[in-house]
Amino acid sequence: MTDNMIELHDITKLYGRIVANDNINLNIHRGELMTLLGPSGCGKTTALRCITGQVTPDEGRVFIDGVDVTDVPTHNRELGMVFQNFALFPHMTVFDNVGFPLMIRDMPKPRRREMVMDTLRLIRMETYAEHYPRQLSGGQQQRVGLARALVYHPKVLLLDEPLSNLDAKLREEMRFEIRDLINRLGITAVYVTHDQAEALAMSDRVAVMNAGQIEQVGTPDEIYECPRSKFVADFIGLSNFMLGTVASVESGRAALSVDRVQLMVPADEGTRAGEDQLVFIRPNDIELLPADSDQVQNVFDGTISKLTYLGDKIDYRVLVGEALEVRVQTDGKVRFSKGDRVKVRLPMTHCRVISA
Amino acid sequence: MTVLRQYLQALWRARKSLVYVFLLCFSLLIYMPFLMILLKSVGRGWFGRLWLPPELTTHWYRFAVEVTNIPEISKNTLIIAGLAVIMSTLIGIPTGWAFGRRKIPGKELLMSMILLPRMIPPIAYGLGVAQIFYRTHLINTHFGVALAHVAVCAPYAILVLSTTFEGLDERVLEASAVCGANPWRTFLHVIVPLILPGILSSMIFTFTTSYNEFTLTLMTYGKDTVTLPVRTYIALGEGYWEVTSAMSILLVIPSLLVLFLIQRQVAPEKLVGGFKGV
Repeated sequence: MTDNMIELHDITKLYGRIVANDNINLNIHRGELMTLLGPSGCGKTTALRCITGQVTPDEGRVFIDGVDVTDVPTHNRELGMVFQNFALFPHMTVFDNVGFPLMIRDMPKPRRREMVMDTLRLIRMETYAEHYPRQLSGGQQQRVGLARALVYHPKVLLLDEPLSNLDAKLREEMRFEIRDLINRLGITAVYVTHDQAEALAMSDRVAVMNAGQIEQVGTPDEIYECPRSKFVADFIGLSNFMLGTVASVESGRAALSVDRVQLMVPADEGTRAGEDQLVFIRPNDIELLPADSDQVQNVFDGTISKLTYLGDKIDYRVLVGEALEVRVQTDGKVRFSKGDRVKVRLPMTHCRVISA
Repeated sequence: MTVLRQYLQALWRARKSLVYVFLLCFSLLIYMPFLMILLKSVGRGWFGRLWLPPELTTHWYRFAVEVTNIPEISKNTLIIAGLAVIMSTLIGIPTGWAFGRRKIPGKELLMSMILLPRMIPPIAYGLGVAQIFYRTHLINTHFGVALAHVAVCAPYAILVLSTTFEGLDERVLEASAVCGANPWRTFLHVIVPLILPGILSSMIFTFTTSYNEFTLTLMTYGKDTVTLPVRTYIALGEGYWEVTSAMSILLVIPSLLVLFLIQRQVAPEKLVGGFKGV
């Protein structure tokens, strides 16, 4: 109980008939970076706004640091927030922007100056103190936004898609910079994004959201390797989904017939013959072997139906049997052309069963 | 045919110089009349035939100030313009806020209704205003003339202010709240500095509109509420071209001052401070 910095209890929020948050429960530990991940309209921003107080939930309570803040206005919640569009004050210099939270707290000027300059040094922007936001690049503006959010050592740092307005290369750099800063300060952070790569790279834990609900909460590793629903498997990384019927079960494995192909998959005790099961495998876990290969388990004859060169990897569509098409990504060390006959190996350990 | 083609080709070749010729003609169109009244107002015995007046004098200015009671008339003009600015701003701020920041059904229709007084001929509009003012005894009052001006000033204020308020980023206000500012301090430290340039330019627009307004004043003024444009027109009727020219020049000076202010001091990027990118 006490090691939770933020607790969301049964949060429900409706906009007219649209359910933005449907009975959300989430605990965010002290000092961790929790990412709310999901497609647009999944309710992640509404959940964040319940934490900031810009949205009052219709039902449920919000706790920050053990205190029920559901009815506390935003400006009394002691939070720091970074916005997608930076939301700096255009009429203030970098120095005044970063000093704003301190000015609001009536901190004496010399102390304010000291803290602002310390924070600006933290983000390597101390030489830009007298610049106006319009004179800065997007990345610099976002660093100033970060400084403004951190300057008064808030309990929680909230980041609302902070990198979405930056170009791809800068985004990558800023990921590490933000992660590094949060590590150094040991602050609790809530990060909202729709970018799964960003979520996996930065988070201690990820809450995957869909249609107003939390689908799964776990470490990036858990979310990627053991997704508990088709939505999570599909949203995080690439997946081949195969729906099949269990033909037979024996000692921890099951034979699944998928489009006339017999696929061996892991099975738990409850698996019964005749059941339908949904299985997924990542395209980069599938191996393509020359047609004369002599491997046997989960190896099928296939034909390359389509291939796309992606630079560091090659994306193949392989037709197995008559109707099953799987997507395979390889590092390109062994290359095949369109129409080549190949053997496709779907290693059993990488075939994961989601409930049907 | 070949002559025409050669002519067109010559024009085409000279197209860059032609731009300057057109610009020069346009400038003459705008500035020549102004130059005429300036020369007329300082010249004695000048009838526009010679290049410059034979003798320079300040006589007409003295005459204008003494005979037409310019101080009194200027006071009227400024009181009326001031009242019009205050009323237009008081109307413009809430209306502009509603237009700029709220979802209003039929917003476009409402906006065009507000702009309507600017579209119909002022003489027709003024006639209706005059009839109402005679019944309500608003004729020949500063408030009445200013109120008539508000009909054409307020649309400017509403237009300028709704654009200003529309540009106010909701996220910036949220940022202020998250930073710990209560609504009052957000208003004081964020909203006011961001909308001040818009309010000032709205006031300048309404001031010049009221200051220059002729037709509506003509329909609503009386002996106690003569304004500079109307007095200038009356002086013209009295037949003194030189005096009228001097009055026109005096009339123009405040407008030039305002123009100078807009250019130098009240440029939005100056007020907001480095708003413009480098």
